[in-house]
Amino acid sequence: MRRNKWVYLGILALSLVMVMGFATVAMATGAVADPEPAVPEWGNWYVMGWSAVNFFVLLALLYKFGFNPINNMLEERTNTIESSIKHAEEVRVEVDQMQKEAQANLAESRKEAQEIVARANRTAEEMKTDIINKANEEVSTMKERALSEIDAATEAARVELRDTAVTLAIMAAERVLERAITEEDHKKMVREFVNEAGDYLC
Amino acid sequence: MIFGMWDSVLFHLGPIPVDHLVVTQWCIVVILALVAYSATRDMQLVPRGLQNAFEAAVVWTYDFFTQLMDKEHIAKKYAPLLSTFFLFILFSNYSGLIPGAAHIPGFQPPTSNWNVTIVLAVITVFAVHIAGFQEHGLGYMNHFLSPNPAMLPLNLLEEITHPLSLTLRLFGNIFGEEMIIAYMLFLVPFLVPFALMALSVLLAFIQAIVFTILSASYIATATGDDH
Repeated sequence: MRRNKWVYLGILALSLVMVMGFATVAMATGAVADPEPAVPEWGNWYVMGWSAVNFFVLLALLYKFGFNPINNMLEERTNTIESSIKHAEEVRVEVDQMQKEAQANLAESRKEAQEIVARANRTAEEMKTDIINKANEEVSTMKERALSEIDAATEAARVELRDTAVTLAIMAAERVLERAITEEDHKKMVREFVNEAGDYLC
Repeated sequence: MIFGMWDSVLFHLGPIPVDHLVVTQWCIVVILALVAYSATRDMQLVPRGLQNAFEAAVVWTYDFFTQLMDKEHIAKKYAPLLSTFFLFILFSNYSGLIPGAAHIPGFQPPTSNWNVTIVLAVITVFAVHIAGFQEHGLGYMNHFLSPNPAMLPLNLLEEITHPLSLTLRLFGNIFGEEMIIAYMLFLVPFLVPFALMALSVLLAFIQAIVFTILSASYIATATGDDH
């Protein structure tokens, strides 16, 4: 601001010096005449003609170098802006289209992914059920086998026990009777005994 | 001798005398043409510097004259002419502020001579009527009979007073201003003329504006729909 003030003052002072200097020089050289209260001469056709020519030349030059190129430029700029806006609109429509497509693709992909997951879940579930069923089957098979083995073992043990009991009974009977009984008696007696007492023994 | 100071012949171009005034006009034409040329020499789509200022000025004149004249196509058509009036008159008026003007014989603002201002006024008259006929065709003639055929003499008188007032207003203001400054420089050649010169900067601008706006309003009246 302060600097501007000095610039202005400087220009002002310089202008003053120029005016005064020029006036002084003009006066000193006698170029300056005492201004007469003279109304300019009327009807100088040459000045009128020249003025008209000069004015139209200026008009033509300003039109050629000023208005014409600027009008063209303004028009060109308008066209450029319009085409840019149009292009932007086209691009926007295209982008919208692409966005819609992308969204559709995304939705489809998501659906597919969900299907895949669902299928995987289903498969897993099936496999799980399968495995469990198999395991159950195996277990039941094993259980049955174990039970049959147990039954067999029980039967074997029962038979063995029965044999042992027969033997013991025979030994006891021998002791009581103190005589040998025939094999046939023996077996008969045992069978009867076992049949009677079998239920108690097992 | 009395008129010599104001209207002297500087040289002859063949048989045609060339006055000082005419040379001043040439200088103005050359300066304005050079500025216009340098502004639009290398036009860019994105304007910079002088081109930007020049474009802004041109667009401003379009807007200004459109507001003034109501019809955009007329404003755009006559903006170059009216702008040339403005610039030519403005630079002519300002040439009177160059040191030595009105003191050195022959060196005076062209607009301080009514041979020049009447030419400008006559150009305005032609422009007004051409614009009127272009806009309304032969119906433009009704303009002279409106609002009543009895007004014909007054309307015709108006066609004379318009250019006369344009001529005399511009000539009188600039001539008077030049005379006062010349006398002041002669009588009190220090500080006092300076204040007057500062005032005449404003005056020169106002006169250029007034001539332009009046011409525009005459054209607007001739092309308007109200007659």
